[in-house]
Amino acid sequence: MDVSAAVATRRSIRAFLDKPVEQAQLRRVMEKAQAAPSGGNTQPWNAVMLTGTPLQKLFDLVAATIPQGLMAYSAEYPIYPAELEGRYADQRFAVGEAMYAALGIPREDKDSRRDVFANNFRAFGAPVLMLVHTPRYMGLPQWSDIGMWLQTVLLLLREEGLDSCAQEAWAIYQKQIREVVEIPDDHIFFCGVAIGWGDRHAAVNNFPVPRVGLDQAVQWEGF
Amino acid sequence: MTKATTVTEAMLTRRSIRAFSDRPVPLELIRKVMDTARWTPSGCNFQPWEGAVLTGAPLHELQERMRAAAPQDPKEYSWSDPEVLPECLARLHQVGADMYAAMNIERADKAARGDFMAQNLVSFDAPAVLLVYFPRVMGPPQWSDVGMWLQSVMLLLRDEGLDSCPQEFLSIHARLIKDFLGVSDESHIFFCGIAIGYRVEDDPVNQFDRKREELDSKVRFLGFE
Repeated sequence: MDVSAAVATRRSIRAFLDKPVEQAQLRRVMEKAQAAPSGGNTQPWNAVMLTGTPLQKLFDLVAATIPQGLMAYSAEYPIYPAELEGRYADQRFAVGEAMYAALGIPREDKDSRRDVFANNFRAFGAPVLMLVHTPRYMGLPQWSDIGMWLQTVLLLLREEGLDSCAQEAWAIYQKQIREVVEIPDDHIFFCGVAIGWGDRHAAVNNFPVPRVGLDQAVQWEGF
Repeated sequence: MTKATTVTEAMLTRRSIRAFSDRPVPLELIRKVMDTARWTPSGCNFQPWEGAVLTGAPLHELQERMRAAAPQDPKEYSWSDPEVLPECLARLHQVGADMYAAMNIERADKAARGDFMAQNLVSFDAPAVLLVYFPRVMGPPQWSDVGMWLQSVMLLLRDEGLDSCPQEFLSIHARLIKDFLGVSDESHIFFCGIAIGYRVEDDPVNQFDRKREELDSKVRFLGFE
């Protein structure tokens, strides 16, 4: 699979098949991803790959926490920028509405929407969850480095026929994550990545995800 | 370097290129790359990335202006925060030492090192440069989104036989660049450039060994049989 096909066929998968992923396959992906670039060769990324018993333990702990609502949230960074304007404000809602429309869940049906959101915390049925953390000393450009590494992982997974969903949602339960997985106190928890074999026929994996036009995001000079 | 036919090959053959040939980059190739890169994921589908691709006369004019200007003060952002961590400082020193050794430039030869650093201003003679900026309201997770997009671009360039070098260095002239492009300094932060072109295959600066941490020091596997 070339890069172009990997980028084009990658989408955030929110329904996975009940089929395990071999550790050897994940090691192959993560080994190659180590070659991702970073400013000053910092390599600021760190991760834990969870499956089986410890993953179930995390699911159970978070499931028991969800009823506490917002009180239990403990994200260590702002997931959304405070003030958004123009296309950014529009986009935030467009993708959510597209997803709920594909699932046939209207805006008023808050209970169903809450259930769909809670699927995040079962990694949408994925057999593997990667938890990403980084030293608190890292500045903004190192977050970009982590993004370069993350996209490398997502694209290499496609090459293995695997699917993924990057999930910042896990950040709201970082305290519970730290109860199950040892993450150093001087590290910040960033996100999860659900990994597995996507159910490519599921409606939630098939709605169109809009993107802004090429010339809206990029200007061209001198060609 | 031939085109990559797999993601793996793109990863293995991508490296930060610091000597480019003068072979021009066709607009349609870069447009194809940037068009596909739009499918990069981002939290809430914000797609926080914005940029300008420059070549030819406008690029040379910008480079002339940067050459004539002093680095801005204060900095646009800090890129050296990780240096408080000994292991990060060691990695930075190591990559610098390996690069200068490849070029036979001695550690004490500050003039030669300075001349090479100045090559950043002309993006190592790359014929095209992508300049990356985005709204200042974007926080850490959106910087990660921008990074995902940048890596899409760099890997997609390998698909087309093209090479790149990400350059945070250009942020020393962030305000000048934004002014040149007509981008608001008030609303937008300038992040980096990406030099784009074809590598000079046999230049030693494009050939030194790159070092990475062992996988098991970066990724732990729990619960696998």
